[in-house]
Amino acid sequence: MNAALEFELLKARRAGVFRWGAVVVAVGVPALSTGFFELVRLGGNSPSAAKAATMITELTLAGLLGTAGQVLSVAILMTAGIAASWSFGREFVDDALPALFAIATPRSSVAAAKFVVLAGWALITVVSTVILTVTGGLLVGLDMNAAAVQTASQVAAVGLLGAALAAPIALVSSWRRGYLPGIVALVAVVVVTQLVTALGAGAWFPYAAPALWMGMGGAAAASEVSIIQLLLPLPVAALAVVATLSWWRRAEAR
Amino acid sequence: MSTVTIRAHAITRRFGDEQAVAGVDLEIQAGEIVALVGLNGAGKSTLMRLLLAMLRPDGGTAEMWGCPVADADRAVWSRVGHLIETPPRYGELTVAESVYSAARLQGLGQRPARVAAAAIITDLELDHWQHRATRTLSLGNRQRLGLAMALVHRPDVLVLDEPGNSLDPLGVVRVRLLLRTRASDDGVSVLVSSQHLDEVARMADRILLLHHGQIIGGLDPHGADVEHQFFQRLLEADRAERRPR
Repeated sequence: MNAALEFELLKARRAGVFRWGAVVVAVGVPALSTGFFELVRLGGNSPSAAKAATMITELTLAGLLGTAGQVLSVAILMTAGIAASWSFGREFVDDALPALFAIATPRSSVAAAKFVVLAGWALITVVSTVILTVTGGLLVGLDMNAAAVQTASQVAAVGLLGAALAAPIALVSSWRRGYLPGIVALVAVVVVTQLVTALGAGAWFPYAAPALWMGMGGAAAASEVSIIQLLLPLPVAALAVVATLSWWRRAEAR
Repeated sequence: MSTVTIRAHAITRRFGDEQAVAGVDLEIQAGEIVALVGLNGAGKSTLMRLLLAMLRPDGGTAEMWGCPVADADRAVWSRVGHLIETPPRYGELTVAESVYSAARLQGLGQRPARVAAAAIITDLELDHWQHRATRTLSLGNRQRLGLAMALVHRPDVLVLDEPGNSLDPLGVVRVRLLLRTRASDDGVSVLVSSQHLDEVARMADRILLLHHGQIIGGLDPHGADVEHQFFQRLLEADRAERRPR
C-alpha cells in the first residue's frame, strides 16, 4: 500500500472525529428520520407531527428515505467538514508539519491520501446510512418497491455530493493553518446557504442544490433543480482538491 | 576524497523587519559532525529550515549533494533525516507506529520499515514504551522518539535542532555515541544546533558560531574553554558592529 495512504488510514482509524462522525450520521440519520416518520404516521394532529409532516412527502419507504436524504444532506456536510478540518488542520495545530518536509514522500501525496481517506469514510458512512434507513423502514412495516430503490440511490447521491462539498473546508484549514478556521468556514457556508436559499437562488448555489433536489424546499423546488445545478458540487470539490494539493506542495513550514 | 553533502552559499531569509539569516556560507563533508551554536534568535533553526527546504530563501542557495534543495526529489530526501524544534506529535499513535510510519514515509517497504523501527527503538532504549500512545510520553522520551524517527531509515545526512533537549544525562551520552558512530562508521554528515557548549565540544568536529544571522567564526571544540571562546567571539562581533565605519 502507498505509504502516505497507510499513514493517513492509521491516523483515521484512531480518530474519534471519523469514528463518532460515522456513528452520528449512519445511526443518527436513520433513527431521526424513522422517528419523524413514525411521529407523522402515528402522531395524529400533534404540533410536532405537523412540523415533521413538512419533511415527509408520503407514508412509504420512499417517503422515509426522502426524509433521511434531507437530514443527511446537512449532517454529512457538517461531519465531513469537521473531519476535513481536523485531518488537515491538525498537522499545524499539533506542530507535525515540519516532519512532512524533506522526506521521500511528497507533501502533496500526504494531502491526496487525506482526501482519499475522507472519500472512503464518506462512502462507507453514506452507504451505511441508506442501509440502516431501509432496515428501519422494513422494521416498522414498510414495503420495499421500485420507488424506494430509486429514492435510496438519490439519498446516496445526495450524501456523496454533500461530502464532496467538504473539500473546500480542507483548503481553508490548510491555508489558515489550523482546524478552527475550517470550522468557521463550515458554519459560514451553512449560514450563507440559508440566506441564498431564502433569496430564491438556492438551486444555483452548490451547497443548496443537493438538499433542494432531495425535497428540502418542497416538491416543486425539487423538480426545478437541473442536472447541471445538481452536479455543481463536483467542480467545486475538484477545484478545492487541486488548490489544496498545490498549497501543500508550495507552503513553507514557518 | 571528501564529499560535500550540505552546501549553503550566501543564503538569506528575512521575516518582516527581522533579518533571520544574513548571507551564510556553509559546507559540510561526509562523516563530519558540525555544530551550530549561538544565542536564542541567532538564526540556527531558520538556517536549518532553509537547508531542508522548509523555507524558501530570499537570496542565495542551499544544496544537498550538489542538488538545489528547491528541486530535491525523493532520491535526495530519502537520504536525509531531521528533527527540527519539536518532535512530531501524533498523540494517538504508539511509539512503534510512529517510528514505523516515519520509515514508510522515507520510502522503506512495509517489512524493512518494521525491522528498522524495531532496531532504532532498541538503540534508543524506547522498547519499554513502544506500545504506548505518544501522548503519554515524558518530554525526554518524546525527544528520543523524534530522534528515532529521524534516524530510522539510516540517512546519510542528519539535521538535528537541539537533539539533546529534555534528555537525561544518560540519554545525552547515548545520542552522542550514536551520532559519532554513524558519522565515523557510515560517513553520515551531521549538522546539530545546541545551547550546551560542553556537549557540542564533546560531539562535534567543528563548531560554528551564528550571531545575528551570520556565521562569525568557529570555536575550537578541543580548546581549553569553549564557553570563554564563545563569549569572546560574541563580544568581538558586537564591538565590530558598533565601530564607526
